[in-house]
Amino acid sequence: MSRLKLPGKKVSFTWNMFLVLLLVLEFVIFSSVNPKFLRPALLFNSINDFISICIMSLFVTLVMITGGIDIQVASIVGLTSITIGVAWQDFGLNIWAAVAVAVLLAALCGALSGFFIAYCGVQAMVVTLGGSFLYAGLALLISTLSSTESYQGISGFPDSFKWIAQYKVFGVIPFQIVLYLILAVLAWVLLHKSKYGRRIFLVGVNQQAAEYSGVNSRWVIMSTYILSAVSASIAGTILTAYLGTAKSDLGNGMTMNIITAVVLGGTLSTGGKGSILGTTLAAVIIGILRFGMPLCFKINTQYLDIPIGVLLIVVVVGRSLASNPAMVARLARLKQNRNVPKAVVK
Amino acid sequence: MSFLKKIAKARELSSFLFLVALFLIVGLINPAFLSGTSISACFNTSVVYTLIAVGMAFAIFIGEIDVSVGSNLGFVATVVGSLLRDGANWAFAFTVGILIGAIIGLINGWGVAIMKIPSLIFTLGTNGVLRGMMYIYAGGAWVENLPKSFKDFSSVTLIGGFTVYYCCAVLLVVGVHCLLTRTRRGRYFIAVGDNAGGATLVGIPATQTKVWAYVICGVLSAVAGIIFCSRIGFVTSTSGSGYEMKAVAACVLGGISLTGGVGSVIGAAIGAVIMASISYLLVFMGFSSNYDNAITGIILITIVVADALMQRRNAVRNCHDRLAARTAESAAVKGGAPQ
Repeated sequence: MSRLKLPGKKVSFTWNMFLVLLLVLEFVIFSSVNPKFLRPALLFNSINDFISICIMSLFVTLVMITGGIDIQVASIVGLTSITIGVAWQDFGLNIWAAVAVAVLLAALCGALSGFFIAYCGVQAMVVTLGGSFLYAGLALLISTLSSTESYQGISGFPDSFKWIAQYKVFGVIPFQIVLYLILAVLAWVLLHKSKYGRRIFLVGVNQQAAEYSGVNSRWVIMSTYILSAVSASIAGTILTAYLGTAKSDLGNGMTMNIITAVVLGGTLSTGGKGSILGTTLAAVIIGILRFGMPLCFKINTQYLDIPIGVLLIVVVVGRSLASNPAMVARLARLKQNRNVPKAVVK
Repeated sequence: MSFLKKIAKARELSSFLFLVALFLIVGLINPAFLSGTSISACFNTSVVYTLIAVGMAFAIFIGEIDVSVGSNLGFVATVVGSLLRDGANWAFAFTVGILIGAIIGLINGWGVAIMKIPSLIFTLGTNGVLRGMMYIYAGGAWVENLPKSFKDFSSVTLIGGFTVYYCCAVLLVVGVHCLLTRTRRGRYFIAVGDNAGGATLVGIPATQTKVWAYVICGVLSAVAGIIFCSRIGFVTSTSGSGYEMKAVAACVLGGISLTGGVGSVIGAAIGAVIMASISYLLVFMGFSSNYDNAITGIILITIVVADALMQRRNAVRNCHDRLAARTAESAAVKGGAPQ
């Protein structure tokens, strides 16, 4: 009976369990094929390649819970990177001041798109599509301000900046992982433990109802886009520090991975449902897949779109089958039919 | 009179006026642009965009989206390109390409219409799978050395400097437009996108219509892939990536609403010309092509925001009108009662 009382909670719980199972399965398969996979140094190093996806997917989850979508974050990664480079190299700013400028610029970009979506009522998909063109273009224009050719990228950053990506806590755990965990906890508190988070869910379920119950729903929607843009700028900063080069096209091709992580994490693309824990697990699953496949099965990294695409399709089809009312009814009928003859015989 | 009214109401008209204004402004800045060859070049380069935008328009009409068109285009271009390179018959290669497009469309339609999976997510998945299959099929290498006759066919021109491809595309767009507006089945697409529940209630096969929309989208992307192959002359492993976004942008520029049920394929075709000619126009205005993305983004955002604001103003005005009419009515009733 308790199952019937909280169907939503029950489902999300089992979903997260399923994700944990998937993660364990990945570890078992990859480590049995190639024992090198479990070497901590290697495993932790691999995180550099997908930490940006993990970070952005956390806050894109918030956007998707409000019922929107954010496909501009990937272009903000490049924008941040090139802004840091140009502000530091060509305008002579302190590296940390340059980072601050880049984060501020990203927040402004997020606010602009968020304003159009929340206050002008334009579809999120279109605005962030336009935003992805606009901010990628802006990044390209900023790169022309530099004396360095844009395809080369700006490099030679001070060691204190590269420290972000090179410092290892206790000698093994890269600093980015700690940063990611802090951000994940922050996002979790924000979404699941604060008034603001309740408002995000309420806006996602029914914006009209949220508005009538005194929630400034427009501001809530706009703020989620600012948060996701800032998270993209953090990802861009980390990526720049890791690569040691500032380029305008760093985030290219990340969009699909981010959306996959958020959806795989159990967030409804129509809004109103989702969790940070799910997104975190899903992002790690995708990351491990991207790392383990080439290592254990010698699969070219360019082919990785296939397993990730298949994973996405299988998961959404499976979930749609499981929650399809016709399917549920058929299963129930099957059970009944099986019970009825027995009862008659008895 | 009603004909004029109809034209004034058409959303694609504003897109067309925008295109003309764009050409005139560029012509004022650089008179060299206003020669026939430059303008026809703008149209000719847009042929691939036109086809995928019209395909995307079908997906958007029914209130969904298809972000796998770019990979679909790339995959078909890879397959057709390598078939032709190995000396296959043109007709055979084209049939294979179009069949692949139809199958991809069928899979997308199955996922979205029958399994009821959000279209963005499902097509994102097929997008990844197709992109990977493209790498596998080509072995990560470029498809080059296409037959010269195939490549040269892309520069064969008909009337007024327009290529055969673009003329065919225009005929196709006009034909599709007539089918959509003049036939019963064609009108199903708009009806389903406008109100799927209502359409089902009046007996329109909504699921079937959605599957058809995806199949048409897939086939048109495949045709775009073949033309891409012929025009560019080689296919890389990243060919066609990002085209899905350009197609959506073209549809939006052409006055198609992403909520479904509003717009026309002619609008999509005009939007595609705007999208394709922006980088070309920039060159004539003396800007570097670095501005390409930024300007595309600005135009896209400006148009959708202006459109949303205008729609809201109309809605508010209609609300006021209704309120005024109702108060006038009740006043008349009250005034009339004592008599």
